[in-house]
Amino acid sequence: MTQTLPQALLLQAETRGSAIALRYKRLGIWHVRSWSELAEDVSRLAAALHQRGFSRGDDLLIISQARSEALLLALAAQWLGGSVTLLDPELDNRPLLTRLKPAFVLAEALDAVQQVRSIDTPPRVLLFLDGRGLNTAEDRALNAYAELSVGVTTDAPAPVSDSAATAFVFHPAGLGQPQRLSHGQLLDGARKLVARESLSASEEALAARVFAASGQARYLLAPWLSAGFCLNFPEALATRDTDRRELGPTLVLGTRESYARLEFWARERLPLPGTFSHRLYRWAMVPEVNSVRRWLGHWLIRRPLLDVLGMSRLRVPLLVGPALSPESAEFFGALGIRPGNWQEPSTPRALVDAPALLISQSV
Amino acid sequence: MSATTESVLLRLDDISLSFKGVKAITSISFAVKAGEICALIGPNGAGKSSLLNVINGVYQAQSGSVSYAGQTRRRMRPHQAAERGIARTFQNIALFKGMSVLDNVLTGRNLKRRSSWVEQMLRLGRAPREDDEQRRHAEKVIEFLRIHPWRHVLVGKLPYGLQKRVELARALAAEPELLLLDEPMAGMNAQEKGEMSQFIRDINREFGTTVVLIEHDIGVVMGLCDHVVVLDYGRKIGDGTPEQVRANPDVIAAYLGTRRTRTERH
Repeated sequence: MTQTLPQALLLQAETRGSAIALRYKRLGIWHVRSWSELAEDVSRLAAALHQRGFSRGDDLLIISQARSEALLLALAAQWLGGSVTLLDPELDNRPLLTRLKPAFVLAEALDAVQQVRSIDTPPRVLLFLDGRGLNTAEDRALNAYAELSVGVTTDAPAPVSDSAATAFVFHPAGLGQPQRLSHGQLLDGARKLVARESLSASEEALAARVFAASGQARYLLAPWLSAGFCLNFPEALATRDTDRRELGPTLVLGTRESYARLEFWARERLPLPGTFSHRLYRWAMVPEVNSVRRWLGHWLIRRPLLDVLGMSRLRVPLLVGPALSPESAEFFGALGIRPGNWQEPSTPRALVDAPALLISQSV
Repeated sequence: MSATTESVLLRLDDISLSFKGVKAITSISFAVKAGEICALIGPNGAGKSSLLNVINGVYQAQSGSVSYAGQTRRRMRPHQAAERGIARTFQNIALFKGMSVLDNVLTGRNLKRRSSWVEQMLRLGRAPREDDEQRRHAEKVIEFLRIHPWRHVLVGKLPYGLQKRVELARALAAEPELLLLDEPMAGMNAQEKGEMSQFIRDINREFGTTVVLIEHDIGVVMGLCDHVVVLDYGRKIGDGTPEQVRANPDVIAAYLGTRRTRTERH
């Protein structure tokens, strides 16, 4: 049994090397990486990080939306026995950055780079994903992620094998104690989730949310490496609804807010109240024991609505944080989607309308 | 504004234009350096759009000449201007409303195609490879201008501000050296203007594209442009940096307005 996330990656590369591990969209086109390609990429990045002085016990701070590059570099840092701190680029992270004084940083774009530059102690290595608006000539520590592996000749050291090593560090809002998740904790939790939800290598998961939440690591990243399914990244946060429709994921992870946003998005597009179409919608969305009505409602309204939402193949809807509002729970429940969190399986018959514990309290 | 010969991309020399005896432009000369953002400002009817039309060959000046990239021409047709790297947007949006954003942007790549219409129709020879290449270029522009969420949406269904951005994308898809923007921020709110200004600045910085734009919002012009040319009744009354133009008494009097003295009012 694998002890760490990089070992789990290598195991997947050995056992299902040609299967698709990652799918991401660039310039309107979907691209894929197999498990063996992914393991090579991560190994190369680990060698590059190692050459730049990153070693066991160091921390890589990432300020990025959910992007495949951020994930690969996180795994590379963990390969070397380091931890990864994930921050939301939409937030003002300057007070936290001032406190942490990070030495190794991956910043998604100009805004995140500016946040890092605002602190007194500059990092030893500052990598960026999107160089738009950046003047790399004025900062020697500033390097493009795309050029990180250029000129690296040495191989990466053997991946970390200590399950107690910290894999991720999450900083709660305010000045609370950081939450550290070890490789062992993550893999144990992932195995439980995989067993409970019967996750297999055939799942298609969508990673649309920013990585800066522990739920991402617990629910998505660790189970992905454990079960060996495919992790899909949308082109951008703004395109995630379109990309979800194109992919038809079987596993999604969302918060109360993200489910509510999707519900609002769907309700905005419903026929106007008072019209025949709206009455038909309401008729179809009412839970009904009559099998004819249920069958008709499914094919006339609910199935097309699920297609529009990109949820027609959805098997495992997961929820991070508080339970859905009663309205959202009713809406998604009528569509057969009942998001569950760590304590609650994702497909109970009853609507999820009771308050649930925070994920951070649950494991 | 003085500009050395070697750094000048566009030079207008003594341009005059009239329509049936009505003088639209009278003896205007100025130069635009490569890599700068130049604004043409002036009240309505000052001749700004006419001047833009002269630059890209829609109108032929009755006198004077236009030098572009070292070549001086008495006359230049719009398609010649496009072939030589001049692209433009229009005051009133001129997009194909029934086509998607992607298809509209792809029309900006037409001049980059080398395959014949037969090859394109039958998807033979160079056409398939070219299609992929054009799509890749168009997608880069779409991503650059952050319109990828609407890639497959019909342009007619987009709000006005986004349509303006699509029009800019179509012009940018042609990989122009000189970009002419006719009121790119007209009808936009402050936030949209801010976004559009940032896109124009990014285009100028990332691609080195020289930009000549017409804009009425003086705040935007002063914050965005390196060089400002002021027109009034078809004549040039100011030419310089934003600071120079701001201090020019003729500009203050004609365009920004002056406070009349008590004796003038009575």
